[in-house]
Amino acid sequence: MKRFVLLALVLVSVGGCKPPVTYTDKEVAAVWGDMALHVSKATPSNSPTYAARAFGYIGLTMYESVVHGFPEYQSLEDALNGVDSFPVPETGKTYHWPLCLSAGQAAIIKYLYPQAQESTVRQVDSLEREVNDFFLEKLQDTALVRRSVAYGQAVAGAIFAWSQTDGGHRGYLRNFDKTYVPPVHPGGWQPALYSQSFSHDPLHPHWGSNRTFLAANAAIPKPDFIPRDTTPGSPYYEQFRLVYEKGNTLTEEEKQMAVWWGDDPGETFTPGGHSYYLATLALRKTQPEMIRWAETFARVGLSISDAFVVCWKWKYHFFTERPNTFIPKYIDVEWESFWPDPPFPAFPSGHAIQSAAAATVLTDLFGEPFSFTDYAHVGRPPDGLRNVTFKARNFTSFWQAAEETANSRFYGGIHLPHDNAVGQSLGVQIGQHVNALPWRKPSSSVSIAP
Amino acid sequence: MNLSTLQRFLLFAGLVLKVFVSIAQIPPAGNAPFVDVTDSSGIQHQFKVYEGMFGGGICVFDMDNDGLEDVYLTSGMNDDQLYRNLGNGKFQLAFEGSGLELTRKYVTLGVAGADVNRDGWVDLFVTTLTSRVNPPDIPRARNLLFLNQGNGKFVDATEAYGLADLYSFSTGISFGDVNADGWPDAYVGNYFLAYEGELTYISDATIAGSNQTAKGYLLINEGGQRFRDAFQEYGLQHRGFGFGALFTDYDNDGDPDLLVNHDFGYKAFPSLLLENRFPRKRFRDVSVATGFDLKINAMGAAIGDLNEDGYFDYLVTNIKFNRMMMSQGKGKPYVNQAKELGMKTLAISWGANMVDFDHDGYLEVFVSNGDLNPYCTPMGNFYFENDKGKIVDRSVESGLKDYGIGRGSVVFDMDNDGDLDLLVVNQESVRPGYPVPSITRLYRNDAAKGAWLKVRLKGSEAESHGMGSRVILSVNGRRMMREIDGGGSSHLSQNSTLAHFGLGNATAVDSLIVVWTGGKKQVLVNVQVNQLVEVGEAKGDNPVSIWPMVVAALFVAGFGWLIWRRRKRASVGSID
Repeated sequence: MKRFVLLALVLVSVGGCKPPVTYTDKEVAAVWGDMALHVSKATPSNSPTYAARAFGYIGLTMYESVVHGFPEYQSLEDALNGVDSFPVPETGKTYHWPLCLSAGQAAIIKYLYPQAQESTVRQVDSLEREVNDFFLEKLQDTALVRRSVAYGQAVAGAIFAWSQTDGGHRGYLRNFDKTYVPPVHPGGWQPALYSQSFSHDPLHPHWGSNRTFLAANAAIPKPDFIPRDTTPGSPYYEQFRLVYEKGNTLTEEEKQMAVWWGDDPGETFTPGGHSYYLATLALRKTQPEMIRWAETFARVGLSISDAFVVCWKWKYHFFTERPNTFIPKYIDVEWESFWPDPPFPAFPSGHAIQSAAAATVLTDLFGEPFSFTDYAHVGRPPDGLRNVTFKARNFTSFWQAAEETANSRFYGGIHLPHDNAVGQSLGVQIGQHVNALPWRKPSSSVSIAP
Repeated sequence: MNLSTLQRFLLFAGLVLKVFVSIAQIPPAGNAPFVDVTDSSGIQHQFKVYEGMFGGGICVFDMDNDGLEDVYLTSGMNDDQLYRNLGNGKFQLAFEGSGLELTRKYVTLGVAGADVNRDGWVDLFVTTLTSRVNPPDIPRARNLLFLNQGNGKFVDATEAYGLADLYSFSTGISFGDVNADGWPDAYVGNYFLAYEGELTYISDATIAGSNQTAKGYLLINEGGQRFRDAFQEYGLQHRGFGFGALFTDYDNDGDPDLLVNHDFGYKAFPSLLLENRFPRKRFRDVSVATGFDLKINAMGAAIGDLNEDGYFDYLVTNIKFNRMMMSQGKGKPYVNQAKELGMKTLAISWGANMVDFDHDGYLEVFVSNGDLNPYCTPMGNFYFENDKGKIVDRSVESGLKDYGIGRGSVVFDMDNDGDLDLLVVNQESVRPGYPVPSITRLYRNDAAKGAWLKVRLKGSEAESHGMGSRVILSVNGRRMMREIDGGGSSHLSQNSTLAHFGLGNATAVDSLIVVWTGGKKQVLVNVQVNQLVEVGEAKGDNPVSIWPMVVAALFVAGFGWLIWRRRKRASVGSID
């Protein structure tokens, strides 16, 4: 299994210079899942917010581009927020669904990542060409190939057109809004001094007003935050004291977790990408039919995308400070977090909400327990500053990985336990809403018990 | 001040109270060691940021060779300023009509001077972030080189010197004679990716890719005719968020090495120390071995042999805590001793100067502090007095604890009374209601008590102002050394190019040694104190250019002899 993962990664990284002899249907889904991850990592100025949104549309496009080939499944067009309709196949015509999938993925990735570097675009193009060439050779039916490619592209086009009105379109051009005036209140967020970003404006301050994929996710009620009280022993103070003490007593493994789940958008596929990557692991392990691959990517994509919108809504509503602001002021002037601060307010945690949302959908799809090994950062050079190496991590359930993701921010000294707990609870609700979408047709023959 | 600003200030006051002394505690006005003479000096300046926190700097240079050091100040979105020093602490604007008005078209940041064409007048190199007039979508612009005509006029030589196509978001500029040919070379720090020429087509991809780290420019001066970027040729490979570099001979081998400041060193490329392999055209990266691979937000640096071990020490400024990199002797890594020395105080620091302000023979440290626009909490400057080797924080008593948004700072003897005065750039606060005025300030030094000596170098083969050369004094059994500042020091700035020494109660200097760039030495004995000494470079062969050749010749001869012997033996053996 591991060898297959590595092989796929190598193939992606060389842009398909060495085409495999064959593609099974599900392998087409697999390589495009990898490509989405690759593009999110290789594109400059990416952000966790924008990348999650892209995974949402890329996953949904994969699902919608093949759903009509599987009679027990149905389009989500009526269940999603503000969709008119998605293209349907011409009746009486046949389609080759892996080709629809491939063409749709290539198109939507390029639509959503026009800021990708030329070399990255070439990798997308060559993968698409390779898949097309393989099936053209195999099917020996030019008309079928053309029709299938056109259909995949039409689905991607429709989804992209709809995406342009959600508030996040070309969001990478507005990462930091210079005109945004942050709220001022005691305990408010301050630009980081030990920062991940050279901007001192907060990232995507209006992202929380973006349209969610599911209306239900926008309607999740406001969470509670702990009232600010700088008195030692108060619940608020205690939260920071826990971070402070953890920071002073980090074990080797906790340091590894803090670095592993950092998922910096400048160097990796972003935190949401890590969840999308876990989906590829589960799919490679279980090898379901192609539609389940598409459904899995769609479910994870929708859940992490909505998770970041909901998260950003409350982040900018509460606009809370990070431990790096509170602790030097009230506990220890020399204290500094293990991991640098991201450029946005703390509550609730983005890592916690997106990983909980993804774990909720992945558990629903693949069950519990489910063991897997996360190789996401294996092979990266060691983190010299923190003296930490990247070692593969083993898990027995998706929830265990989600817990670790959230805790890793606490170990990193950039989130309170409360930021994580509330993030997780919001994430679970978001994941449940995604699970409850009408993925399957309400088939009477199936649902009526004898 | 409106209510929200007041609230905001009070909120921040928690941090300020704990770390910095409260703003209410205004430094004593009476007999402070330093007196703010900004108002009476005629200098009126404030740096205005383009966006974010960058800038600005000051260059101290004698524009008209009248023995009074003048100053050029960059201003970002405001107009730059050139002040002619009239003596007695008075300055007069000399910008209008100088030819430097061209800088108005650009967002300027750093500045340094050197006699680029060796005509005897110090020329100016001004770095820019972008254009002020019709700025491109991706902020970039050419830097500007002005040749000093000596009559108060400067001529734009950017194009003529081959610099017009270097489209960059540049920060610090420093001069150093990398190849010891007497023509000042330069290093320019770039913060974001640079381009060759103006971008004609801009796509989302170009914009998204534009905030990537950048290479610097290593500009080799070709006979005073033009500059050529030799970054790769010299084996340089780094790409960082550059804040410029400082040419300094850290290893005492007579050639300028390069200390490169990088912002976000913990995330992108760390800071660097590059050893000049002159006479080879090569820099060797010795960052890790020397401990200079600083993973910090390196903003600037000050230089001085604080521990008097014959090697320079370097204060590297940073966000939160500065690094006081102390030499440990030849070949040993430097160690950050900011905490041990009592200089680990929280602030956001930019400019720094390490000089003997009070003339007791020991180096003081001044640090210019200021928050990151647009969210600015007032934070005062640092003044660390050196009481015979013991550092004492006298920020409050010094009269230097201004709460403006400080950036570059320079020292020079503005009134020619023998001691070093201080000029500090401050930024305008982007958001209104900053609680104190944040303007550039000139401080007259009234702290100096002891004897002093100033040394002006005049290179004939070395760079004409002795840039990068070293002056070493032996006095009362102590050894003091200074390096002539080529710019890129403090933050985006250049101090006086005169070597300055405080000498306590000494009446004469036992010996004064000049080590010119290239390694040639010159000795003066029994120099009287309290004067400015001019040392002209004596003609003679440059020892560095000969010795490697001699060594190489010996090596080749020896190796040839070995081979000859082996061959002989082998041929003898084959008979057996």
